[in-house]
Amino acid sequence: MNILLTGGSACGKSTYAEKLISTLENEHRYYIATMRPYDDECIKKIERHRKQRESGRFITIEQPVSIGSLILPHRGTALLECMCNLCANEMFDESGNMRDPFDDIINGIEKLKAQCRHLIVVTNDVGGEYSAEYDSTTNAYIQTLGALNAHLASDFDCVYELVCSIPLVLKGELLI
Amino acid sequence: MILIIGSAASGKKEYVKSLGYTDADISCDFHDDRPVLYGLETIVFADTTLCDELATVLLSKEVVICCEVGSGIIPAEKGNREAREATGRLCALLAKKADKVVRLVCGIPIVIKE
Repeated sequence: MNILLTGGSACGKSTYAEKLISTLENEHRYYIATMRPYDDECIKKIERHRKQRESGRFITIEQPVSIGSLILPHRGTALLECMCNLCANEMFDESGNMRDPFDDIINGIEKLKAQCRHLIVVTNDVGGEYSAEYDSTTNAYIQTLGALNAHLASDFDCVYELVCSIPLVLKGELLI
Repeated sequence: MILIIGSAASGKKEYVKSLGYTDADISCDFHDDRPVLYGLETIVFADTTLCDELATVLLSKEVVICCEVGSGIIPAEKGNREAREATGRLCALLAKKADKVVRLVCGIPIVIKE
């Protein structure tokens, strides 16, 4: 079973994702963290998520890029958080050079899926607001992440949108 | 308490009026004792440290209206990022305790919790 979770900032995606994985998998729970700890704010966020996961018996794997190179020690269930960071990390290098990461990310997810009983991917709908002030780079990012989300949604079994911590079913059945 | 959410201009206030409330029942000031609080996001964006105090007051309201602010590109400015997250977390907390949560989309009320 593969599940895509979307929703705005601080809408309860992580909390719900962790609940979901706990009902799906008893043995091998992997948390694939894609955020790069490049400043205090990120470090605080990572710390908050880490605390949230303490009781969940997760094996945390830091994988900000190259999801396809990941080899899980056992077949289990993975929670990848989140597609927004993964897309940005794959799309821009440290000097800000841009490339199209779509195929690499989709191939990476395919390889990960093959190693998982269940895969949960967290993402965000960054195209949810329009601004005339976005530059071409930001618009390219919105387009790429939107295309990744649409691809995953069509491929995965279930898609839920979290709204104020309430899961709304966009595809498939609600498991919890 | 009924929590009403939705994007800007999605018909939240009109929906509240369809429930029988009038302009005289609606206030943007949370100290006010009117039954409907409108524009929770503007209160949080003005001062994110108010959230704990706000939660208690808001649960005693009949209706709380808030814009969904968490979608779109994460803002470059730190204060905006923090306010967006604070609004999201506060709404999640209110939704947990609310009797009903309604989301407005293009003027259509969708009950997401009852």
